[in-house]
Amino acid sequence: MIKLTRIDDRLVHGQVAFTWTPALGIDCLLVANDKVAKDDFQKMALGLAKPSGVKLLIKSVPDAITWLNDTRSANHKILLLVNSVKDVMALSNEVAEIQSINFGGIRGKEGAVSISKAISVTEEDTAIIRELLKKGIELEVRQVPTDNKQMIENLL
Amino acid sequence: MLLSFILITLIAVLGHSEDFLGTTLLSRPLVLGPLVGWVLGDLHLGIIIGGTLELIFMGNIKVGAAIPPDVITGGVLGTAFAILSGKGAAIALALAIPISILAEMLLSALFVSRSVFNKQFIAYAECGNYRGIQRLHILSGLLKPLLMGLITFLALQLGAGVMKSFLDSIPAWVNTGLQVAGNMLPALGFALLMNLMFNKRVAPYFFLGFMLAAYLKLPVIAIGGFGLIIALLVTQGKGSGAEEEEEDFEGEDGASAGAHGLDRPASKLNRRDIRRLFTRSLALEANFNFETWQNTGFAFAIIPALKKLYTTKDSMSKALKRHLQFFNTSPYGSTLILGITAAMEEQNSLDPDFDSESINAVKTGLMGPLAGVFDSLFWGTFKVIAAGVGTSLAIKGNILGAILFLLIFNVPHLLLRYNLTFTGYKAGTRFLQSLAKSHVMDKLTYGASILGLMVVGAMPATLISIRTPLSIGGRDSGVGLQGILDQIVPSIIPLGLTFLVYYFVKIHIKTTYLLLGLLVLGFVGSISHVFA
Repeated sequence: MIKLTRIDDRLVHGQVAFTWTPALGIDCLLVANDKVAKDDFQKMALGLAKPSGVKLLIKSVPDAITWLNDTRSANHKILLLVNSVKDVMALSNEVAEIQSINFGGIRGKEGAVSISKAISVTEEDTAIIRELLKKGIELEVRQVPTDNKQMIENLL
Repeated sequence: MLLSFILITLIAVLGHSEDFLGTTLLSRPLVLGPLVGWVLGDLHLGIIIGGTLELIFMGNIKVGAAIPPDVITGGVLGTAFAILSGKGAAIALALAIPISILAEMLLSALFVSRSVFNKQFIAYAECGNYRGIQRLHILSGLLKPLLMGLITFLALQLGAGVMKSFLDSIPAWVNTGLQVAGNMLPALGFALLMNLMFNKRVAPYFFLGFMLAAYLKLPVIAIGGFGLIIALLVTQGKGSGAEEEEEDFEGEDGASAGAHGLDRPASKLNRRDIRRLFTRSLALEANFNFETWQNTGFAFAIIPALKKLYTTKDSMSKALKRHLQFFNTSPYGSTLILGITAAMEEQNSLDPDFDSESINAVKTGLMGPLAGVFDSLFWGTFKVIAAGVGTSLAIKGNILGAILFLLIFNVPHLLLRYNLTFTGYKAGTRFLQSLAKSHVMDKLTYGASILGLMVVGAMPATLISIRTPLSIGGRDSGVGLQGILDQIVPSIIPLGLTFLVYYFVKIHIKTTYLLLGLLVLGFVGSISHVFA
């Protein structure tokens, strides 16, 4: 069961390991990212940040989709982590369970505008966000669980 | 009076300068409270107010861009107003909470607007002007202490008189109610901590801590000692980490990354240069902003090394631009990344074939995960123990509270931070790989959570006092309910209240509502003589 789907370009870090994981009783962190899945160094680093007693899975986006749609994943309380709006779109197209997406952190880059303290989006991102909204998926901004939810549609 | 206002302003400035001083927690109310009390001639009250405020703001932690209420401004002003008008901790609390929430909004605005300097930083980097970058990092960093100092001073100068007559007009029953309500608020702090640390696996340790405190009346420091021993015993036993198979992790040797920072042919950086990475890392957060976060702090720290490694304008400019990219990690472990980065920069300067892209790849690859490790360790364990021990002494008016608080947190912090600089430089990423393979991190985080949670468990029993004056039976011949409770489970009321608030936190009730709810409960309980 997916307890939270989060976009965070630092993937597993303090907010994830130290606030979200305990607050939601997560027992499995699933990082869905094609690049990281092939990068041993990144995998090693993420493994260090894994909170004790929690399983860490690092899969490519297609593999993550397969795993999430497999019955094996049903017994876990999953925090699904991606680092881009694009990846979350791919996941939500294939995994019906994703009905709400948490925007945790997307750093500013060339051509991106800041819509919230820790969130910057490009025009391409905005187009995807509108599509997700059209599908009726909840898109909320919170860095840590005790923040108040801000809805993306009010920030664009 | 003007002199004491100026001194109090300087205390606020000191608190806000913490970002230059290694995030050493000297900004906490536990530390600043006694300073304000001392300036105003009532050190004792300052200590108690500081301890009380610390309890309530205990669960407010700073991770990433999640900015908690500005307890520096709120705490300093609340303490000052309360002492100036001859009131106690309850009034300080009632003032500190709204002030810190207002001040937090101002700080957020500052962190947003600081981004305007980023263009100037890049312009300096373009022409290799590292001096410009250092200067702007410091100047922009000074904005926070100066701005908040100015606000503190204005609030004192303009508000002290009004505040006194306002506080004097508050009727006595409100004061009593506030006191009882104030005694309840720490439950919110504990509940927020539990929200981060409590789970089924480690729950017994929470109750162990509670029982040691409630029945055996052990002081928090002794419980911390027991916690440490138990954590060591539990993590030494084999298989205690309950490690699963980790199916998706097999077969990685990390050979591709093993080369970073090793086998250097010659070395341009000496011990002194590495030590400077550590000293400069203390100002990592000085220019925190919401666009690029700690980037200029990282550049500021590594500039002395870059100066030695790159002598041409072009190579310097490239290096500066590299380190002005987005960066954010836990300050407590930042030196590990600085050390690794310095080793890679050194290699880059020696070897023309070195892939300079890999420097940022390693930096950005490590900043998130290491923030996870060090934030948990420092906020979840060291800060909790330090605050537990510190507040338990401070609420009794003992100045040792503030001193032990700083020592318990900073002795391990600074030792680790200093040594990690050298570890990072010498062993590079290989150090991390051996950590990852040995599962030592898992044991460490598990042990740390046991230790932290035992201290949290002790808190409801030692740090809040909520008692009931109710009695069972007739008015005169009745038996005090509290006396009966004390014989069965001492501190059951604080424990119950903590769990009640924890439950509300779990079902996502907003912190502000919980705060108000506790205030109302305290007031009503006090007026109806259910609580005292």
